[in-house]
Amino acid sequence: MRTPKRLLAAVALVGLVAGCGAATAPTGAPVADGELRIAAQFSPRSGYAMDTDDAFVVAQLGSAEALVKAGPDGTAQPGLATAWQQDGAAWRFTLRPGVTFHDGTPLTPAAVVNALTWVAGVSAPPRAIKGIGLRAAEAGPDAVTVTTTAPDPILPLRLSSVNTAILAPAAYTGGPPSVIGSGTGPMRLVTTEGNQQATLERNDAYWGGRPQLAKVSVRYVTDPAARALALRAGDVDVAQGLPESSLLEFTGGNGYDDQTVAAPRTVSLMLNEKGAFADVRVRQAVAKAIDRTALAEQALAGSALPASELYGPAVAWGSQDPPPAPDVQGAKDLLTRAGTPQLTVRLQTYPNRPELPTLATAVQGMLREVGIDAQIQIGEYGTQEPELLAGNYDMFLLSRNYLTDVPDTGASLVSDYSCEGSYNINQYCSPEFDALLAPLGTITDPAQRQEVFKAAAAKLNADAVGVPLVHSQENAVTKGVSGYVVDPLAKSLITPELTRTS
Amino acid sequence: MGGLLARRLLTLPFVLLGAALLIFLLPRLAGVDTVRSVLRSRVAEAEPDPEAAARVTAELGLDRPWPEQFLRWLGHALQGDLGISFATRTPIAPQLGAALEVSAVLSALALLVAGIVGIPLGVWAARRRGGLADRAVTGFSVVGTAVPEFVLAPVLVLLLAIAVPLFPATGWGTPAQAVLPVLTLAAFPTALAAQLTRAETLDALGRPHVTVALAKGIGGSQLIWRHGARLALTGVTALSGMFFAGLLGGAVVVEVAFGIPGLGRLLYDAVIGQDLPMLQSGLLAVVGVAVLAGVGAELLQLALDPVARSEVGA
Repeated sequence: MRTPKRLLAAVALVGLVAGCGAATAPTGAPVADGELRIAAQFSPRSGYAMDTDDAFVVAQLGSAEALVKAGPDGTAQPGLATAWQQDGAAWRFTLRPGVTFHDGTPLTPAAVVNALTWVAGVSAPPRAIKGIGLRAAEAGPDAVTVTTTAPDPILPLRLSSVNTAILAPAAYTGGPPSVIGSGTGPMRLVTTEGNQQATLERNDAYWGGRPQLAKVSVRYVTDPAARALALRAGDVDVAQGLPESSLLEFTGGNGYDDQTVAAPRTVSLMLNEKGAFADVRVRQAVAKAIDRTALAEQALAGSALPASELYGPAVAWGSQDPPPAPDVQGAKDLLTRAGTPQLTVRLQTYPNRPELPTLATAVQGMLREVGIDAQIQIGEYGTQEPELLAGNYDMFLLSRNYLTDVPDTGASLVSDYSCEGSYNINQYCSPEFDALLAPLGTITDPAQRQEVFKAAAAKLNADAVGVPLVHSQENAVTKGVSGYVVDPLAKSLITPELTRTS
Repeated sequence: MGGLLARRLLTLPFVLLGAALLIFLLPRLAGVDTVRSVLRSRVAEAEPDPEAAARVTAELGLDRPWPEQFLRWLGHALQGDLGISFATRTPIAPQLGAALEVSAVLSALALLVAGIVGIPLGVWAARRRGGLADRAVTGFSVVGTAVPEFVLAPVLVLLLAIAVPLFPATGWGTPAQAVLPVLTLAAFPTALAAQLTRAETLDALGRPHVTVALAKGIGGSQLIWRHGARLALTGVTALSGMFFAGLLGGAVVVEVAFGIPGLGRLLYDAVIGQDLPMLQSGLLAVVGVAVLAGVGAELLQLALDPVARSEVGA
């Protein structure tokens, strides 16, 4: 009989200790020279190489900066360059005075030329500057000239890409440059331990003002459940990208702050226009059959937003409208008029993004209602891609970021939907659509470009080019932190304003 | 035992060579476009770019016939140069060495826990056959072998990192950070060791000479440890070699769940990113360790078990 008593005592102790932990009341006052611990969603996969997606990690850490920053409205804002002006195929960028790299050396035109020349010369140049023939040259003591093969209306926006961040000359010793102590950002990267963790210290000489935080440690925790547990256990103060089920635990007080923002990513049902979906009426029938609100709110439990077109609320030109309501009878009528009242197709997708198989099952059920038998096939994306691009498929569920590293979607519109597009999975080809995109080669004004993007999205909807289903969202939960803002473009995380609170 | 050791070590290079060839060929036979995978591992949603693909193909040496690629890789590996990772474009050896060290510590600690806890539990259960203790140990063994690591890991975190914040929920590098991953990884071998020890001990206690000794009143505990537990230990030792290699490369779930930079996670990332040199070197390391651990366990078993020694003439 002694054992049960001990067990009860242990359980009581557990409750007591847990209760004590929860009883501490936060004051919300900023902590001077605080330290922050972050459970990051994405780990570096390429050794922090700046010509890869790891550049996003470096930028989020607040370590490296580019010549230009992208404003929330999609416009170019001063970064390490304070002004720029175009002269044909050349742009002159005036450098910000008084900037030093973390190793103490000054930001000079030679350093900028060195960095841009390296990234333009890698074997697989980043998307933002691919194929434009970028060359950089010094232009006096405080400026550089960046030239492209043809006049480029959005070069400043291209140079807001994190891949074009400027590192100290000493970082470039052959191969990918070292990011340790070589940036200009508010935090200096001090140590990295593979794809496990990184530590940063304040850059007291930061040109944008002295950062609030003295130290930051980042753990790369790729498992979303583990990130949630780390936050609950108090191991970290910030957890990025929590699953919807975990997010519910952190809402409604308890000292946690959760933020969710729309991301520039759309899950679309691609329809092969050189195969089973050549007839626009069949494509329209698919669009009418699918209840996108149910997909977002029920199948994905509210972790995504229903899509009415390709672009969503993450961008200034995106649609805020609700999607059209499903119309089962209308879909059946269209299929009958197209001569295919019953249709059997393959619905392919891939498991890397866990929402895709879930969505495939839900879409399958909706299509069955109108007489389309979609047989689901799930396989690795890489093995399916050649067949998709060759047009050997029926339906494919794809998650796609429509901003290629810069707040401008011109490049992805051309690659994904133009007749000569290199990533035209829908096999869509419309001379009218290509003509619509043509002015993007000369329009500089962001507002005018965004009008073209809107018109392009409307044209894609009118031609039933695939079916945009849902827009993804990004989230983060913090505890005892002030100044944290979730950046839908995933370029910013640690800023000078970020601070710990007591 | 010296002869056995020599025979095993002589076969080791051939085993490794066969494994190396198989590991080298598997990704190629699977028909995966390595260059495209490498480019996508660097930039997740990169559109196909034939010019970049051609440059990277030449850069990685993938434009050469595969026998030439294999022999070049093997030649360099024999000189201790494992090449450059496709993903990080930095030397593989330091990355592999660091990951191997982490996983070796993790696996060794898990096996140590399994031995320290599992063997006494098995002996204890055998001495109380049919009693409450026996049923409890058997129940623990069933649960320990049945509960997968992806369930046990969050349960332990909830109990020992959140409800009672004794240990960190993630990370690696401090003794406290090792506790939860080691416990998670040790659950299965501990349960198996307890089961095996119990069965072996019961078997040993049923042998005639032990029964006679017990009937003559020769010391209970000493007899059990000498005849039962020692025999059981030989069985557990034989298994430990296999377990060590398995844990070394197969602790992916634990390493991902706790954010541990071990070999399992390294290999997982290499598979996803088609980092062939890293995958080849990592798997070769696992095979090498598996063979060596097997030989080590076999030698240890011979040292502990005179019957086995006489059977191999050692």
